[in-house]
Amino acid sequence: MATEQTANTADGATTSPTEDIIVVENIDKWFGDFQALDDVSLSIKEHEIVVVLGPSGSGKSTFIRCLNRLEEHDSGRIFVNGIELNDDVRNLNAIRSEIGMVFQQFNLFPHLSVMSNITLGPQKVRRMARQEAEALAMQLLERVGIPEQAEKYPAQLSGGQQQRVAIARALAMQPKIMLFDEPTSALDPEMIKEVLDVMRELAQSGMTMIVVTHEMGFAREVADRLVFFDEGAVVEQGTPTHFFENPQEERTKLFLSQIL
Amino acid sequence: MTNEMPVPDPAPGAMAPPRARRVVLPPYRQRAARPRSVRAREWVRQNLIPSPAGVLLTIVTFVALASLLAIVAWFTFSYANWRVVTDNRWLLFAGGFPHDQEWRLWVGLGFVFLLVGASYGMWSSLGRRDVLFMVPAAAFGVFMLAHGGAALWSTLWFAGAVALLVAAYGVCRLVPREHGPARTLAVRVLSAVLVLSVPIVFLVLMAGGGADSDELSGYLLNLLLAPAGIVGGIFVGIPLAVGRASKLRAISWTCTFYIETVRGAPLIGWLFVALFILGDIMGGDLIVRTMVVLAVFTGAYMAEYIRGGLQALPRGQYEAGHAVGLPYWRTLQLIILPQALRISIPPIVGQAISLWKDTALISIILPLRELIGSSRSAIAQGEFITNRIEVYVFAAVMFWIVSFVMSRVSQRIERSLGVGER
Repeated sequence: MATEQTANTADGATTSPTEDIIVVENIDKWFGDFQALDDVSLSIKEHEIVVVLGPSGSGKSTFIRCLNRLEEHDSGRIFVNGIELNDDVRNLNAIRSEIGMVFQQFNLFPHLSVMSNITLGPQKVRRMARQEAEALAMQLLERVGIPEQAEKYPAQLSGGQQQRVAIARALAMQPKIMLFDEPTSALDPEMIKEVLDVMRELAQSGMTMIVVTHEMGFAREVADRLVFFDEGAVVEQGTPTHFFENPQEERTKLFLSQIL
Repeated sequence: MTNEMPVPDPAPGAMAPPRARRVVLPPYRQRAARPRSVRAREWVRQNLIPSPAGVLLTIVTFVALASLLAIVAWFTFSYANWRVVTDNRWLLFAGGFPHDQEWRLWVGLGFVFLLVGASYGMWSSLGRRDVLFMVPAAAFGVFMLAHGGAALWSTLWFAGAVALLVAAYGVCRLVPREHGPARTLAVRVLSAVLVLSVPIVFLVLMAGGGADSDELSGYLLNLLLAPAGIVGGIFVGIPLAVGRASKLRAISWTCTFYIETVRGAPLIGWLFVALFILGDIMGGDLIVRTMVVLAVFTGAYMAEYIRGGLQALPRGQYEAGHAVGLPYWRTLQLIILPQALRISIPPIVGQAISLWKDTALISIILPLRELIGSSRSAIAQGEFITNRIEVYVFAAVMFWIVSFVMSRVSQRIERSLGVGER
């Protein structure tokens, strides 16, 4: 049912082709009787920016949650940075510290200050000294544009600021890959831009990014490759130009006609 | 991990512009700006004579309150013979505690007062209401002590304990409020001492030729058993709550079975277990067995309250912890439990107050004489046989004091932890 168009991916990529940092081979995921992912395969190169599109319930969130094993796939194989994601907990912790994740609902730790939210991972997982972790956190807060909020608590910030703290928190682990699960969907319209600006800057810095979003402008401008999910499978993928100007699949056309 | 963190550029357009605000007083501040007499009149009109029916209710309430107050005053100052309490103060407070070891009681009290003062200084501040409570409580203490032989010495000891409270408060107020190495260290030390306070008090009372365990009785016994049961109950309850929420069936079923079994029988039944069955199995000291049973019993309730807190947390908190790279146990320890325990504070304190009063049950079935048991002994003396109301009123007040303090402290904790509430 899925038309694989992997051939289209390389020609539009802006970065030089390097080794695949994520390899997904034929994964399935079931929630009870509902098949959320149906034989999905995908390879992602280092420094590549992949935007995942699809109607709600199409399995795109489930897919990127599988990549750091917040969901366990039922069959197939996933390799991240050469390590297979399986029941081995050591693999899991090694992989998770290489992958940063940004959630739709931010999921900041409400009992910790912004500073502590960011330094927690480096201190407890990376065993970084406190001063060092705090210096890093300040650097990242400046990068996302809110250094003056360091001592506040998440509830005292606006949605856009919270999401930027969440990005800083993920970056503090110095990950190789960043996953974004609908990072702007819970935001008021006027705050979407400030988050997208940060993501744009991150993309320019060479981060490998996988982004689930409905922000078509962002997808068109930033993505190296677009992947369209429907009913748990990859229906079509390609460069933004291919995708928006010349989609091949009927379901892609339908989706684009509804959303644009 | 080589090249992924370039020197950060300032994010374009990310600085939030400063917001200008026009200052407008809210209505209550506008009201406050008017003269006191006007405000008083308004207060009376709003609260006492809002409508004809309201006036009636006000009158009825005032009459009822005045009669109650009159009855209490008449009982306290005219009817009651408080000698039954003051003459028996050693019996009521310390029961069979050896008289020549009295200093241990005062040192123990001083230690507790020191902790109270230090905790207030570290995490809160003494407000007007706290002082309004503490001053009469201290006066009551002096009243209790200022009768009979050796009154001067015991009053001095008591004053010393109060001084310790004030001094500890003052010292801990000097600790900086902001997070920093000094505060972290101070908080850790104080927390450790608080967790260990029950064993420390036991050491003070019993070590090196102090009281034997069967000599611990009276109000002192309530004060020893309840904290042991509460602190022990929290430590039993946390793993039970986590276990019951576990995905591993064997663990969650075991925890559920424990909780439901313990909650399924009344405390008095479990105290019988401590007295007879546990006595046969593990022997040992009756007080220790009782404390174990209280902790085990309270733990089952605490577990359910903490589980409520765990369930109130969104799944995203676990996921965020994992996504940062924290393993399950670290996520639990650093992210989940601090939030779950905060949510559970009101019911946990409710359970603590409940257990505090339940310590009165002990004297019904066990040969341990806590305050109620000592009260019965006091009445049993021929001289005071008609004064049972006085003794029980006194006991009620003693139970109330600690319950009240606990509920105040709970409010304080809730408020001071309220920072950053979602």
